[in-house]
Amino acid sequence: MKVSTLPPSRVLPALELTGWRVRRRILPLLLGSLVTATILQAQQPKPGDVTAPDKQTLQLLLQRIDQLEARVRQLEAERQPAPVVSPAPGPAQRSAPPVNEAEQQAESQAESAVPERMDLSKTLLRLRGFGDITLHGDTRKGNTTAFTLGQLNLFVTSDISEKFKFLSEIVFEGGPDNIYGVTRGEINTFSVDVERYLIQYSYNDYLNVAAGRFHTAIGYYNTAYHHSTWFQTTTGRPLLFQFEDRGGILPVHTVGVSASGLIPSGRLGLHYVAEVGNGRASRSPLTQEPVQNVVDDQNHKAFNLALFARPQTVRGLQVGFSAYRDVLAPINSPRVGETILAAHAIFVRPRFEWLNEAVVVRHAIIGTSQVFTTPGFYTQFSRQLGSYRPYFRYQYINASGTEPVFPDVRLRQGPSAGLRYDASESVALKLQYDYTTLRGRAAINALALQVGFTF
Amino acid sequence: MPRWGGILSVFIGAGFLAGALSFASDLRPFIPSEPPTASEQNLAVVVNLSNPIENLSMAELRSLFLGERSHWPNGRRITLVMMEPGQPERAAVLSLICQMNESDFKNHFLHGLFTGEVFVSPKTLATPVGVRKFIFNVPGAIGYLRVTDVDASVKVIRVDERLPEDKGYRLHIPPRPSK
Repeated sequence: MKVSTLPPSRVLPALELTGWRVRRRILPLLLGSLVTATILQAQQPKPGDVTAPDKQTLQLLLQRIDQLEARVRQLEAERQPAPVVSPAPGPAQRSAPPVNEAEQQAESQAESAVPERMDLSKTLLRLRGFGDITLHGDTRKGNTTAFTLGQLNLFVTSDISEKFKFLSEIVFEGGPDNIYGVTRGEINTFSVDVERYLIQYSYNDYLNVAAGRFHTAIGYYNTAYHHSTWFQTTTGRPLLFQFEDRGGILPVHTVGVSASGLIPSGRLGLHYVAEVGNGRASRSPLTQEPVQNVVDDQNHKAFNLALFARPQTVRGLQVGFSAYRDVLAPINSPRVGETILAAHAIFVRPRFEWLNEAVVVRHAIIGTSQVFTTPGFYTQFSRQLGSYRPYFRYQYINASGTEPVFPDVRLRQGPSAGLRYDASESVALKLQYDYTTLRGRAAINALALQVGFTF
Repeated sequence: MPRWGGILSVFIGAGFLAGALSFASDLRPFIPSEPPTASEQNLAVVVNLSNPIENLSMAELRSLFLGERSHWPNGRRITLVMMEPGQPERAAVLSLICQMNESDFKNHFLHGLFTGEVFVSPKTLATPVGVRKFIFNVPGAIGYLRVTDVDASVKVIRVDERLPEDKGYRLHIPPRPSK
């Protein structure tokens, strides 16, 4: 029976002559062979001593293993990169590191480089969560004071490649939908909505293309804040930018394609956004899902163009406008031309924000002279004082009672005042009071206490 | 309603007053940091050797470090390299370039990623050696180092037409604590 044919005394020269990778492959084999040899040799009967192993030989072999292990440790230590000398040498002595070595080290550094505030997993997906819980009460007849689970938002992104990125918001939300004043669905059950779902392509600063479901670039708020109250100063969105299934009047979501980017304009910082999409659903009943995720009820597409400036000279200032055009086609009714014009001027710095936006929604019954114009605006400002941020908002919408798309809205206006307290980096407590006057109905006083968080 | 009207007037008036005061205070011009004392060091803004950029204004630098620009003029993707929170180099960049604190900076990037405006979040590295090697190997990378940590593997760019050794250079950091 043959055991290891390579005597241990010849292993070390062999190791020194071959490359490190070969050494790493050979060493376990050698050690394994030695152990095997030890065992087998231990099993060999000795003349004069049939059952007991040769203790001296065994001891020698164990010592040899120890020596070999020590040598392996020594070789491994020699393979470690030399410590970097700091401070760096003078300009005349400076030299670039060898490319291969530097690449390997940079790769390992890059692997350990983690994106800010995102998870540490090395998978393509990055996941971030947002949620809120609110205690809310108001003076509306029939309403009760209640704890309300807000949207549980899973924000998922993936850097598919250097130019492509995937982004989505998967939102679990409870309660019924409220579409143009009509309540639909169960009161206390949760449902899942994919609120954003888009693939982005970034060619350069001047051209970024996205396809999927996104927030329409009408005004500022709609693209600055999505489905997370934690980001927002207040407990909720302005009435003007409320979601379609929460009584909102604007096509907040679009399914289609968007192009955006910088316009070469120097310090003026002009940007553009151009969007084409399915627009809002308009077949009867209007109170079905307003966002046309899968099928458009007509061939005509909605268009939106937005321009805004972020001048370098006044950091935090943004002014802009947008124009949205669609044609709605209710069954058994004349078609309705929809034009939405929006303008905004906002000033946002970490310690201060002042948002001002105005929107006009114009619905023209095609083939008639009937035109319904709905103006709306809001102004909001807040100031950070340590962990506290007091804020104030005034909002206004004035729709006709015969408005063909959202007859339930009518006149709504009033102030909101509140205080946001950042209890930690990821948790915010907000207390907000709203006073809303309604045309032909009693004014509403509302109070809300909310905890919003990210995780 | 008249009672409410009075209260609301007070609310609105106070709010606008507070807003105007806040707005005015936030409009105070940015005062560049004082010239370095003998004990201070300068912070160099460094890019990959292949990057043709030579100079950036402070406003451009701010746009880059806040992720508002995603590509270099040569079309390369910008990869922002930051040092770990707590490092004085990072604190200097946040204060002097971004004009934010740590929390604001994190929120800014989180919000930017959330809106989709920021395409890629910064890479965070622990040591100047790591920063140097990352930038050496990534053509679109930009980062920062103490002048004493710079070597020939990276390229130092001018900020507002000034190199770190020039008089009037604006990026300074306190010296490393002696061990």
